[in-house]
Amino acid sequence: MDDIDIDPNGEAGVGVRRSLTQSSNTARQLAVSFMPSRQLPYSTMRQRRCNSERNALLEEYSDATDSADRQADIIVRDMELDDRLMKNSPVSEERRREALRELPRGLTIKRHVRAKLSASVSLRSKRPISFWKRLKYRTSFAIKKLRDRLLNLVFSVELWYRSIRTIEGHFGSAVGTYFYFLRALFIMNVFLMLMVVAFVVIPQSLHDGHTNTTSAVREEGRFLDFISGKGMLEHSLLFYGHYHSGEIAAGGPLSYDMSFAYFFTMLSVCMVIFIILCYRTADSYRRNFIGAGGGARLVFASKVFCGWDCGVVSARAAASHAAGLYLEFKELLNEQDKNQVLMSSCGKLCRYLINAAVTTAVLAVILGLQYGLWKLLELESHAAHWELAVSITVALMVSLCPLVFDSVVRMEYYNPRTALYVTLGRTWLLDMSTLVLLFYFWANSAKHCWETRFGQEMYRLVLLDAFISLFVLPAIEFGRAFIYNLNYKTSPPEFNIAYNSLTLIYNQAVVWFGVMFSPLLVAAVAVKLLLLFYVKKECTMRACQPARKVWRAAQTQTVLYMLVTLSLFVTLFAVGSIFMRMSSQQCGPLQQYSRVVQVVTEGLLHLHQHPYASAALGFVTRPGVIGFLLTFLSVFVYYTRARAVAQASMVDILQRMVSLQAKDKEFLLGAITKVSNGEWLYSPKEDDEGPDSHTWKYLREVRKPSNSGFHFDASRLSHSFVDRPQSYVKENRSNSYYAERSKSQDDGDTDSSFSWKDSSNCLNRKGDENDHNLSQV
Amino acid sequence: MYQVSCVILIILCHTEALNPELCQAKPREKHCLIEWMARHRWPHTIRVFKRFREVNPELVPKRMTENQAHTIAVPVEEIEKLPELKENPFKRRICQVFSHDGSGNLTFEDFLDMMSVFSEAAPRDIKAWYAFRIYDLDDDMYIGREDLLEATRLLTKGELHPQERDDIVASVLDEADVDGDGRLSFMDFEHVVVRAPDFLSTFHIRV
Repeated sequence: MDDIDIDPNGEAGVGVRRSLTQSSNTARQLAVSFMPSRQLPYSTMRQRRCNSERNALLEEYSDATDSADRQADIIVRDMELDDRLMKNSPVSEERRREALRELPRGLTIKRHVRAKLSASVSLRSKRPISFWKRLKYRTSFAIKKLRDRLLNLVFSVELWYRSIRTIEGHFGSAVGTYFYFLRALFIMNVFLMLMVVAFVVIPQSLHDGHTNTTSAVREEGRFLDFISGKGMLEHSLLFYGHYHSGEIAAGGPLSYDMSFAYFFTMLSVCMVIFIILCYRTADSYRRNFIGAGGGARLVFASKVFCGWDCGVVSARAAASHAAGLYLEFKELLNEQDKNQVLMSSCGKLCRYLINAAVTTAVLAVILGLQYGLWKLLELESHAAHWELAVSITVALMVSLCPLVFDSVVRMEYYNPRTALYVTLGRTWLLDMSTLVLLFYFWANSAKHCWETRFGQEMYRLVLLDAFISLFVLPAIEFGRAFIYNLNYKTSPPEFNIAYNSLTLIYNQAVVWFGVMFSPLLVAAVAVKLLLLFYVKKECTMRACQPARKVWRAAQTQTVLYMLVTLSLFVTLFAVGSIFMRMSSQQCGPLQQYSRVVQVVTEGLLHLHQHPYASAALGFVTRPGVIGFLLTFLSVFVYYTRARAVAQASMVDILQRMVSLQAKDKEFLLGAITKVSNGEWLYSPKEDDEGPDSHTWKYLREVRKPSNSGFHFDASRLSHSFVDRPQSYVKENRSNSYYAERSKSQDDGDTDSSFSWKDSSNCLNRKGDENDHNLSQV
Repeated sequence: MYQVSCVILIILCHTEALNPELCQAKPREKHCLIEWMARHRWPHTIRVFKRFREVNPELVPKRMTENQAHTIAVPVEEIEKLPELKENPFKRRICQVFSHDGSGNLTFEDFLDMMSVFSEAAPRDIKAWYAFRIYDLDDDMYIGREDLLEATRLLTKGELHPQERDDIVASVLDEADVDGDGRLSFMDFEHVVVRAPDFLSTFHIRV
């Protein structure tokens, strides 16, 4: 193929060469697709793809006019070879549907294939099916159809679909992920709210209605009371203290114990949500982190192929997106250049030290803030607004610290992705430690009805956060947009995804803490999220500009889910640790138990009646046993990690093997082509280097175009040929040892024992002679 | 509100699917296009049809028979004006890949194909295959150097220096070309795409 002489610059030449290259490519690919490694049915998907590749290649050979029918024929012929697809049962029908779905072809061809397949299947089914079997098939089909239609219905009713899509079109998919996260949290909160309201709030209100409890102190609702949750609200359904402990006096034959209901509703709903979140986080992690790691980093390739966000719709966003991509490419090129400059180990050490120092400083700041908060809490004067002051302090701290951390992290030497994760981690640490501190303070204070006080604290935090998110932040954004419109030199307001996501996570952590002690708080938070969605949407659409930096949305979303899961875990841990030891006898639904955990042990399991079970449980919950289990778990985690690292290095080795094999394959295919064209492949000798190899010289000088393989022109052998080869085919066959031996014996033109004049066309004789010669040595 | 009407439309459409006028099909085999799509769990057919009709309302009738679904072709210049495709640098190539004759003029079936491949429900393998064909600008089943150069030029709207583009293309081939032949076959491309977590979210057009 290579020595066809075409003028490379002419139009026709290009076309001819392209079609020739194409057909040679196609022929080669067709040959490759018949190789045994492509025939293995180890995966039907792979098999189908190989078939589809083959079909795609065959497509080039067919006409465009009636190709649909013919292509369908080819595909059906392939599918008929698979026995599992051709049976007349619901399983095979489902398999056929899957196969059709995964076929990368147009709808016309798919329809033809389906028609032909069903015709072929009905031809093949030999026996008539009995009545009962047909009935069974029909019912299973009907159920499947019903399920599909229900799923269709569910998918077509998507909450806020169009709004999020508009935002995505204007700002890119990263901002879209924030709104999807918001939507997911909203749905989770609505679920939580429904459960809590149904099982806890409604029975309590029925009880209230029946027993006509009125709060002893009826104050008028003052605004300050509304904010701080005291006064009238204190003895309402909002807080823990109001809930009855014992049976609900609502009439009716069944008894409904409030303490059981309260405890187990909270516990079970939190457990269910925890499991769902864990599952989602793990799934997201597996998809986004593990799939992307291991082996060589594909920075440039993934940027070129997955860089353009096809969801971008507006012209402004597209221009910004293109500019962002341009900047990213430049950054990558710079990094590549920098990597080639080796950094001294001193420089690296310096960077590590600076990072460590700043991290320590930040941790110290966090601890200092917590200490300050503790002091503030201990300083409880009975001033009316002390508690409000505490809440306002906490809210300000939580709102302003992320910005401080953001500017701090710029002083350090992280790459941008790691800097983001570091900021997220630090802010999360601050939020959680604040909440846990508050919880422990209230739990250890010997106040009357500390649960209600803590519930009030959470209520105040939610209210303040709502005020900040719904009023203060949008006002700031609109203000900045206004200033930007006046003076284009200032930086435009961009949607700060990290800050907003952190606010959501903090909010959710407050909800987790608060739901145990203030059941209706969830309803308030659900309403707040609903409002937040619309406010953020308006704010973003009107005030913000599309971001310059192109975000990696998928991996960040994993981190966000992980933080939410961790918050829930910390909450459960903190509350569980308190409830294990302490009692809650001053108010609330769990008054009758000396320790809260006795709801389970006494109320449910009646352990005092089973001494052996209670002894066993007592043993299992001892610290030594738990410590042992934890040690075992950590060893297991370490083992799995070691295995993962080993497998990653194995993947590396295998990848190198694959590339070498591919090179081998190319070489062999090329050799086959050459051999089939009548050119012999000359095995390269060691002392002949350079691009102008033996093969090339041989082709140029010895092989005349009209020669077929067996006739050499000895007069054209140049002197660089030390060897006088009898037949190059021989050396192709034998290994280098023999080639070397035979080379060393040759003497030049006058060597009569290997006179090539005798070696007409009989290769075998040559072989005999050569072997005979060698045996003489 | 819109979702409710959509649901009602889908239900209506399902009942209409049994309407022989619309189907023009033998009742036993149920070739109806819309029913087939609904069976394959893709609820947005109505939306897609509305979009398609918006491109050229004169050419596309309000109720399409099955025959018309693969004969009436909207020219490529008008398809490119759709908001979903207008800003996409590869819009011409996308239309060419999905059209039945390679010219870029799409029938409704081609359009439905395109939207289904770009939707969320499409399997990753199908998306990878079509993405490969889209990036393979000269249609020789390999993504070669020229294809990559052109792709980088389109992505940044012509901003990059030719030298920088050469560097980028060299790096891409360095990273992704497993068998070392200087161009990417479908296997190489799929290898890249499977490991990139963003592929599914970026190769996604919402109708």
